[in-house]
Order: sequence, then C-alpha cells, then structure tokens
Amino acid sequence: MRRIYESDALDRDDEDPFRPGASDREEPRAARTLPVGTLSETLFPRRLRHRSISVDVSTPRDVYEAGETVPFVVRMKNAMPFPVSVPTVSPVLWTWAVDGHREASHVPEIPTQEPSALEFDRGEWKEFRRNWNGMFQVSESEWTRAGPGEYTIHAGVNVESASAKGVRDETTIEIR
Amino acid sequence: MAIYEVEAGERFGVVGESGAGKSVTSLAVMRLIDEPGVIESGEIRFKGRNLLELDDEEMRELRGNEIAMIFQDAETALNPAYTVGEQISEAVRHHLDMDETAAKERAIEMLESVGIPDPGQRYSNYPHEFSGGMQQRAVIAMALSCDPDLIIADEPTTALDVTIEAQILGLLKEIGDEYDTAIQLITHDLGVVAEFCDRVMVMYAGHPVEMAPVEDVYYDPQHPYTVGLMGSVPRIGDDRDRLETIPGRMPDLIEMPPGCNFHPRCPYAEENCTKREPAFVDVATGTPADVSDHDTQMAACLAHTGELSEQPGYEVRVRDGSRTEPVESTDGGTVDE
Repeated sequence: MRRIYESDALDRDDEDPFRPGASDREEPRAARTLPVGTLSETLFPRRLRHRSISVDVSTPRDVYEAGETVPFVVRMKNAMPFPVSVPTVSPVLWTWAVDGHREASHVPEIPTQEPSALEFDRGEWKEFRRNWNGMFQVSESEWTRAGPGEYTIHAGVNVESASAKGVRDETTIEIR
Repeated sequence: MAIYEVEAGERFGVVGESGAGKSVTSLAVMRLIDEPGVIESGEIRFKGRNLLELDDEEMRELRGNEIAMIFQDAETALNPAYTVGEQISEAVRHHLDMDETAAKERAIEMLESVGIPDPGQRYSNYPHEFSGGMQQRAVIAMALSCDPDLIIADEPTTALDVTIEAQILGLLKEIGDEYDTAIQLITHDLGVVAEFCDRVMVMYAGHPVEMAPVEDVYYDPQHPYTVGLMGSVPRIGDDRDRLETIPGRMPDLIEMPPGCNFHPRCPYAEENCTKREPAFVDVATGTPADVSDHDTQMAACLAHTGELSEQPGYEVRVRDGSRTEPVESTDGGTVDE
C-alpha cells in the first residue's frame, strides 16, 4: 500500500514560499522546533550551562510534627536569555533526597544507562511540588517513620556531582 | 509490576479505576509503551518466547498477527487517510500472505461478522463516514482478521450501545471457544467481567491487588479495594439513595504512599499498613501466590498474612429475586450481588 508521504500528491518547491519545500519531506516540522539540545551542546560550554541554571528548595515551615507530611517546592531557573539544555545521567531529569537517601529510600535504584536532557527555554522557571511523608523506605517492602531530629531535603538536576556543578540545593527541617 | 498468566482459550479480565495501570500493563505485552516509559525489568512470555528479547522486526510480525489489540479509542486507532476496508486488508495481506482480492474478501467477511451493515459497500468508506460504534467494530474486525492467539481488548465495548455490546462479546466468546484464543479484557464494566470472563485481576496503582476465578471475586472478595469496587456498582431494584463510593482517589504514581498503596483510602487500614507493603499471597494459606494455579484466590492485603490486629469486616449479600441471603456476615461495608 502506498503511503501518502510516498505519493506525489503534494507539489513541492524549495523556491516558492507558498508550496511545501522539498527538503521538508523527511520530517514534518512544527512551527517552533529549535533544536535546543544540539544548539546548546555546540554553542554553549557545559560548565556555563550548569552555571546558568539555579535551583532552590523550600518548605513552608521549618518544624513539623512526627507523622506529618512535609511538602516542599523545587524551583529551577534559566538565567540566560536563550534556551539551555542540561544533559542528565538518566531519563529521570531531577531528583530529590532526604539526608542523602534518594526519595527517602535506602533501596538501591535500578540503574539506567539511557542519558537524557533537561531543557529550559530562555529565562524559564520550572516549579515542582513534592511531599515527603516523613518515612524512610528501608527495604523493598518496608518503611520506618523518621524519628525526631533534623533532616536535610536536597533536590537538583540529575547530573554527576550536582552540588559541585551548582545545580542542587538543600533545606533543613526539624521533626519533633 | 504485575505477574499474571493467561492460558490459551481463557478469558481473563483486568479491572480497576482509571489510572490503575490496566492499559499500560497490556501495552507492555505488545511492547507499545510510549517514550519516555521503559520496561525496566521482568519477562513477558508468549508461547515460550520472552517478548523482551525479540528484535523490532520479530515483534512487528507478532503484533496484529499472533497478538492483536482492540484499542480503547477507535477514532484515533483508525487512519483517517485510508478506507476502513483497506486498513483491515492491509493487516491480512501482510500477515496472512493473501493477494489483494482474497484479502478484500476476508476484510468484508470480518466487517460482516462484527455487524457492519452492507459490508461490501462500507469497505470503501473512510473512518469519518462511520459512526463511533461502527469505528469501534471496524477496529475489532481488524484485530480478529488474522486469527490471533491472544486478543488484548482494551475497553472494546465502552463506546457501543448494549445490543451491539452483547453481539461483540458474543463474537469474542465464539472466537475464543472456536480457535482457543486467549482474551485479555480490560474494562470498567464489572457486569461485563462477570458475564464474560473466567478469571479476573483487580489492579490498583499499577499493582494487582486481587486475582481469582470470577465467581470468587464477586461472591467472596478478599481485598478491601475489590469490596469497594463491587459496592459501587449500581443495581436495578436497589433502594439506596446514593451509590457507595471509595473515598479519595488513586495516588499519584510519582508519589506512591508507603506500605500498602491503598491504605489512605482503606476503611480497615492500621498503622502496620503504612509501613509494610503486602505480598501477593494465596488467601487460603497466606503463602506467596503461585500465578500458574488458576483456581486459587490471591490478594495483596496484610489481613491474609496475619499482620493486622483486626480482620477487615464486610458483608456480602447474594440476592436471588426477592430473597436476600447473607453469605458472610461481620461488620462494616456491604457488597450486594
């Protein structure tokens, strides 16, 4: 069966602005498809890209009762007036942790080899809201409640050594 | 994660609320999970072969041929640029190696079998010339056209009126019996499951919470979520003012509750439910479930492993005409059958 894109039903001409271009045949493109990843990769050094992204983590309060859920907000901003793409180590683009335990879990995650990228438009803000339920996962099927004390919530872009690259932030809360 | 087995000729129902993971589980069988979703681990075995080890070409040969899917949304499943008949006969030509005339005949035959009037004429119609119900039937015809060994039907009759629904279910049943075709039916309609399926799996937040022969699930549900689902079914002659609902909603799968995923909505939840994820066990023995045993009832609730201080109490009443007979009587919720 002949597909529509294999047919000559469309009159193509690169010169005529009112006809579809011959070079558009392979990939139909949307109106706004700037290849942010490629441009960012070729024109903007990775180190500067990390520097242009700021990350902030905040909680509404500093002190929570035991058993209470701790909501937190992660804000990321691209300070540059052009789009920026930050390569990440996995399709999980950003992560959060409590006292160094990813998503408050002691269970090692299944490693993925597939890298991806977190893309920001020019001057873009991103905001993510999550909740820590005040528990730590200690095994595949078991959780324990965090005792009274101070806990640090970290969040950042999923890159190697995120703290050193400045794409990670933390905040400390107290559980009574 | 879901572990289940469907035997040749078996009709297996998958039920649960929207967002429970029913469609994703089925799309995973076809390896049709959309980016950025991936199958992280596990096995999908079909006739002794692990589908995760097949290359794309082998998988394409399998899809539509040995495993067929009836998609939920017929309007988007059909290509608007091709005639309905052409779309059915394309699959037949590709998989059954028939020539154009034979494939066309087969496609017309399939359209007739799903109740499309004047199929010879309708063969050359485009999808927009079909009503919603007819489009759904065309998608069903496409799935049945290559005599698959497994049909995954994702809410195949949701868009159809009840008479056509009965016809389609009858047709699926007939095909299942005649060709020993296994059917995995995903649906919200518990009445359809009761009528059509041999076994049923109840899913919640991406996990199976109960799996058993259909009678067991309906007459003796063993998971509070199943009890809630059964209680929320409207019934003719019911004198309730309002339907029973399960309070709350399905958790965000990015932020799953710790322990049993159902505990925030469960009327019987205890402190232990927030700390331990229940294993999927044989409800009679409390030992890990053996999914190859199709006669046992399995559920994932701490009540079955003796880790709750009180057993969940609910009542199941079986109504036979005017007679109301309590099957099991404790306290708490009720389920009418």
